[in-house]
This record gives sequence, C-alpha cells and structure tokens, in this order.
Amino acid sequence: MLEVRELVATYGPVKALDGVSLEVPAGKITAVIGANGAGKTTLLRTVSGLVQARSGSVLLEGADITKTPVEEMVRRGMAHVPEGRGVIAELTIEENLRLGGLWRKGADLEQEMEGVYEQFPSLDSRRKRTAHTLSGGERQMLVVGRALLAKPKLLLLDEPSLGLAPLVVSQIFHLIRDLVDRTGLAVLLVEQNAKSALAIADTGVVLNLGKVVATDDAKALAGDEQLRHAYLGF
Amino acid sequence: MQQFVNLTLNGVILGAVYAAFALTLVLIFRATRIINFGQGAQAMFTTYIALTLIERGFSYWLAFLAALVSGFVIGAVVERVIVRPVETGPEINAVIVTLGVFVSFIALAAILFGNTVQSFPAPFALRGISVGEVNVAITPNDIYRLVAVLIAMVLLLTLFRFTSLGLQLRAAAFGQEVARLLGVRVSRMLTLGWAMAGLFGSLAGILIASGSLVFPNYMDGIVVFGFVAAVLGGLDSFIGAVVGGTVLGLVTTYVAGYVDASLVTLAALAILVTVLLLKPGGLFSSSVARKV
Repeated sequence: MLEVRELVATYGPVKALDGVSLEVPAGKITAVIGANGAGKTTLLRTVSGLVQARSGSVLLEGADITKTPVEEMVRRGMAHVPEGRGVIAELTIEENLRLGGLWRKGADLEQEMEGVYEQFPSLDSRRKRTAHTLSGGERQMLVVGRALLAKPKLLLLDEPSLGLAPLVVSQIFHLIRDLVDRTGLAVLLVEQNAKSALAIADTGVVLNLGKVVATDDAKALAGDEQLRHAYLGF
Repeated sequence: MQQFVNLTLNGVILGAVYAAFALTLVLIFRATRIINFGQGAQAMFTTYIALTLIERGFSYWLAFLAALVSGFVIGAVVERVIVRPVETGPEINAVIVTLGVFVSFIALAAILFGNTVQSFPAPFALRGISVGEVNVAITPNDIYRLVAVLIAMVLLLTLFRFTSLGLQLRAAAFGQEVARLLGVRVSRMLTLGWAMAGLFGSLAGILIASGSLVFPNYMDGIVVFGFVAAVLGGLDSFIGAVVGGTVLGLVTTYVAGYVDASLVTLAALAILVTVLLLKPGGLFSSSVARKV
C-alpha cells in the first residue's frame, strides 16, 4: 500500500530523517517506535506532504506522491491523524466529523456519522457542542472517527496514546485492529509507547536519530531484550 | 421622547453600517490573523467605480452590482498578489503592507477620479417619513441601508453556518493544518475570505456614499469606527461585530445628540477601553485560548 524509499527530511542543518525506508502493506499495522526526537512525527508529516522531502520518495499504491500537495492526499485515500488530537476546537463535534467526509460527494455521510456516534457514545450526546468541551480521550475518538469517515486505504496515526488513560488507549487500539482485520486498511502507527504499539502491530520499525535501526515482526521486536534496552526503554 | 426615538433610529442605521464594515475586518482576521487597514480604501475605490458608471448613464443598481463585483475581485487580488508573499514573515509585515494598500488606493483614486468632493446619488428618497403627526428622522434611503445590511448579514451567516463551503472556510480559519489534511484547499479559502471581505466592504462603502458625498478619504472615519466595533465584538465573531457595531452606532448617536457632537470619537474610545478592561477578549470572542 505505502512504500517509503530512502526518505530524507531536514530542519535547517538537522537531518530529521536520514534515509528512511519502510513498507506498509494493506491489512497490516506497521508501528514505528523510538524515543523522543527519533524522527517519528517528521516521518508521518513527510509522508503526507506537510514537510517537504529533501530526497527519497513516497509511493502510495505504486504511484509517486512525494510532491503531491497535502490537500490531495485524502482524495488519494490517505488519512493523517496528527499528533496532539487534531480537532478544530472552535467547531462542533458534528462539524468536525462532517469535515472528514468532505471530499466524498454523494456518499451517505449522515448514515456513516451515525455509525461513528454508535461506536463512541460519549460523542453522541454532545453533537452540537464545540469540540473544546471534550476530554483528551474523547478528542482522540473524534479524530479517529473523523479520519475513518474519509474511507481511507491508509491511515497515519501519530501518538494516539499520548496522555490518555490506558483503558481509552486499549479501546482505540482494539477498534483500529478490528478495522484493519475487517476492511484491509493499512495503518502506519507512530508511538512512543512501544509496548502497547507492538502489542497490536504486525510489524515494528525502530527509528533512532532519523535512521531505521531495526525492522522485524512486532512480537520478535518486543521479545528482543537488547533492542528494548537500547532504544525502547522497557 | 421624539428626539430619543429619532436618535435611536439613526443610531441603529449608523450601527448597521459600522457592523457591515466590522464584518469585513472579522472575515479577514479570522482567516489570516491580520487587520486589513486597506479595506476602507478598497471600498472607496469601488464606490468611485460605481460613481463613474452612474455618471456614464448606467442605473444605480448596475453600478451597485459593479462595485460589489470589483470589491470581490480587488479583495482576491490584494490577498494573492500583495499579502500572500509576506504572510510567512512576522504578522506586522502583513499589517504594514495593508497600510500600503490603504495609501495606494487613496492616491490612485485621487489621480483617476480627482481629489474633489462629489455627490453620490441615492436610490430612494432622502425626505423624512411622517407617522401620523410625527415626523420621524428616518428616510426611505435609511431604510434601504438597513435592509441591505441585514440581507447581506443573513446571507453571510447562512453561508458560514449551513453550507459545506462555509464549513471549509471556518475550518481553514481555525485549524489550517488539520483542514489541509482533511482535503480543504486552504489557500483558496483564504483568498475567498479576502474576496468576500472586499465585497462586504464595497457594500458598506456604497451604502455610506448613497445620498451623500464621496472623496478619496470619505471611508477613513468608518475604518476607525468599524475597527472599534470589530474589537468590541472580539475580532473573530460575526455576531460580535454586529453587536459591537450597533452598540457603537447607538452610543455615538446619543452622545452627539444629547451631549456634544465633538465628543463622539472620545465616546468610542471610552467604550472600547471599558469593554476591553472588563473583558479583554472582546464581547463575543469565539476563539479558544490555546495552551502552549
């Protein structure tokens, strides 16, 4: 589904990504883990085009999208949930959701929005309230629901567990796992919380200082004691 | 009592014009966090375009339409050509550039249309209406001004509140990056915001001019009062701009009528200071304070 080849991204003289290559197949969750400053968020931002790649390429279903503008990505089937719960706080919950299906003209959005409300009952009772009234967990539910309304083939998730209660994290992770298994969605998950990310992922990619230091089956990575101590801290 | 009624009516009408102009500033501030000081001069320029058409024998309404369309186009061009290149720098750069727009349009108008005072025709009568025995200090032209502003506001609010385009405009204003990730063409939305502000400004400009006088600086006072009205309302709320404009229109008219016309500007300043002391975000700020 997604193929990243030798991707380089820089912030001034700093190489945030230093030749990163990875693959995200359909129907699988690929987790990118690593410490703060490893380049995880930059990786997602470069894939979706928020950050311009210095060199290397990004292929979505075989098509080169390295230079495609961000606004096009959702139409190509990519949904990116940014770090820090990208709700638009001034808009209502319903309006936030509606934005998710913006480009899908003619789709039965109302029906699908009901589906999201069913999945997350805590959003249901507050449809007309502005999103800044939501808690951190509810915001995460809202952005995940919104991303799914775009009917993506590839979902980029940036630190969905950040600052959330373990129960909420497990609810969201289970929902995504279930969706991947049912619909063949490809997920590129970026997480600092390596333990829970590897628990739901199929493949793990360890990133350190902008370079891939290990790519392996998620279970194998979680079991590799040396690697865990060196890069993952658990 | 009669004086009170008359002053109130005049205040409401004046307030409507302030509100219309405040809305243009809010439209732009919401989208780009910039105060467009060129707005009044842009509007003045389009009023001159309308006046030229009327002098050539075209009808008031055709000229009216031409002013709105040219306001829309000028707004879009100013954003794309003049403001966009400086937008990535500090906000003060863009604000200074809009001051340049202000000066340029006034100079251009003086060159093209002459630096003299010209009268602008009114589409409706300028004589007061009588209700029974009482003469009311409101003319059919005043009613036209009020109704035109109200219609424009309803259209604007409907667009923003109930259409997909309006939702995209708001998303682009409040969460640029998220909006782009969701497929909103933010750059187009910003241009559209400036264009709509240009259109609204032209409406305010032509309403003020109708039945009155135009000269290259005739919008300057409105810019100041419209700005105060917008700040009163919180700078990013449409409702706030309307309320702010109405309050300002009423207070300044009462001050002029009961106290002294020369105190009007001071009264506006006093309201501004009072409101900002009590509620620093303005009366209706919808923006959520962001934690850093």
